[in-house]
Amino acid sequence: MINFEMVSPDNAKDLYLPVMAEIIKVEQMTELETLYTVALPDGAELGHKPGQFVELSIFGVGEAPFSISSSPTMPGVFELGVRKVGMLTEVLSRMQPGQKVGIRGPFGNGIDLENFKGKDVLIVAGGIGLVPMRSMINYVIDNQQDFGKLHIVYGARTDSELLFEDELERWTADAGIDYRVTVDQGSSEWTGPTGVITTLIPGLELDLANTVCCICGPPVMYRFALMALKSKGLPERNIYMSLERRMKCGVGKCGHCQINSSYVCHDGPVYHYPEIKSLQEAL
Amino acid sequence: MVQLFLESDRVAELVAHLMKQKSVFAPHAKGRKSFAFEEVKDPSAAVLDYPRVMHSIRKFFFPPQETLMTFDLKENTCSVAETPAADAIFFGVHSYDLGAVHRLDYNFSEGNPEKNYIARRQGAVFVGVSYKPDEFHFSGSVGIDPYDTAGFDIFLTKLLDGYIVEALTPVGEGLLDGIELPAHEAGKPARGHFQQHIYLPQAKLGQVMDGSYQNEVWDDTAKKCVGCGTCNLVCPTCYCFTVEDEVNVQVTGGSRDRRWDGCMLRDFSAVAGGEVFRETLAERQRHRVFRKFKYISDETGQPWCVGCGRCTACCTAGISIVNIINRLVGDYEKVAVTPI
Repeated sequence: MINFEMVSPDNAKDLYLPVMAEIIKVEQMTELETLYTVALPDGAELGHKPGQFVELSIFGVGEAPFSISSSPTMPGVFELGVRKVGMLTEVLSRMQPGQKVGIRGPFGNGIDLENFKGKDVLIVAGGIGLVPMRSMINYVIDNQQDFGKLHIVYGARTDSELLFEDELERWTADAGIDYRVTVDQGSSEWTGPTGVITTLIPGLELDLANTVCCICGPPVMYRFALMALKSKGLPERNIYMSLERRMKCGVGKCGHCQINSSYVCHDGPVYHYPEIKSLQEAL
Repeated sequence: MVQLFLESDRVAELVAHLMKQKSVFAPHAKGRKSFAFEEVKDPSAAVLDYPRVMHSIRKFFFPPQETLMTFDLKENTCSVAETPAADAIFFGVHSYDLGAVHRLDYNFSEGNPEKNYIARRQGAVFVGVSYKPDEFHFSGSVGIDPYDTAGFDIFLTKLLDGYIVEALTPVGEGLLDGIELPAHEAGKPARGHFQQHIYLPQAKLGQVMDGSYQNEVWDDTAKKCVGCGTCNLVCPTCYCFTVEDEVNVQVTGGSRDRRWDGCMLRDFSAVAGGEVFRETLAERQRHRVFRKFKYISDETGQPWCVGCGRCTACCTAGISIVNIINRLVGDYEKVAVTPI
């Protein structure tokens, strides 16, 4: 017999009931990506860490996980950067400020901030991977005293797909931030570098022993970014990765997000690289 | 332990006696060869001599479809759905199926304890019955024998002309109050022999599975597998699910329902962007088998497969989990075993 005590019903939770949150602001960022500002009822704080996600639902359509794009330092509201790729996001894209959506969360472990404090921070973000990483970037900017230098490496397919353009301009102008960007294919107006994101890594000036990195991007990017960072000399213990899977329930039950034995919704989505080297399905 | 004797032709009488106290669910014959657990209306319809039920009693605690919440589309509000306690007697359960319930108890209690499952589990009383292993059972190899009484309130051991009745808990004793049964003096007969075995001692489970990730058995199995997910559907310890919204025809409201899902289905690991993280059938077969023999087993020290044989008996492609595991063991031990 399995040796454990089943929890009593009084100590079990309604895990799947969302709270109704109001859309405060809708900003179209690119053709496919929109930034939604959302407020919980009664001004409640979401209380998230950078790297966490929520489950957003529209009744009659469904529910899906979205990473939180705003820093916890932003009071009263939170932001979700959403790419229109499915039915739920299609319906969401037609919603206006004042309308309400269901929210559960925050879920996941988030970034292990203690391991970043006092260190230089390197963010490697590919495409929509900037959405969750922006939470960390803005957290570091708002808590400058706790961190060393901030390096941001960002790649997009084309310059028309660059997200958060106002902020990209601010990061470019800020002498305290080492911000680098590349696009795979630039339009005629693009004056920056072209090439995949890994081409930016060799040129970085890093204090290797004192820099902690977090990578987030499309599945194909991780292995190449990792190779580039390792050949740059960044120790493996200084590398974190935020991984995407189908986090359907968010609470470690439904099974969809599993990477080998690990539930991404619970043990992830942000993994310390030395810990996932043994998870063959991770990268 | 007091052992009583129940003659075969008094089984219906015992069922009727139990029905006076709580609802009773028991195996019923379906067609010529199938059996299904359902609520007893006619005590004489309950069957105790059966090889296995199509779906284990998991379906009462983790239903194939369950409403998690209802919503009102006009008001844009939602409310949590009721999850009633089982509060019933499950009569004629085989030891491996109760072993599976204990495993689900663990899965729905650990981490985030889930109200839906735990609420439904309340008030469930289990009356077990021994069985004669058929050509698919291999529970003996995972430490659950046909006479395993662990967790049962009452256990019935089959004899030629009836059953030995043992009350194992105060609840079980209470249920037998008021039915006169003679004492059984002769002891229990020998257990039935298993025809199927996995040659994997529990102490070696971890070592064998650790070395099995790259085994060719996954590709070989994938050549036969069609990815239909039947093995997930019938497995008493599978608990993965998907969640979908259903809207009523008036489009005024609806419900958010969960349904059983299976890791053998291609879309199981798909994300909205189109990526499928377990694209090949070999990867999916490996994940299924590792879920049963490694991932949760590393945590608990127990196989998460209970040896019921359903996935093999029901496989549309003739894949046997016993053969898969024995090949892994054989490759670990470097001895030849039956090919898939």
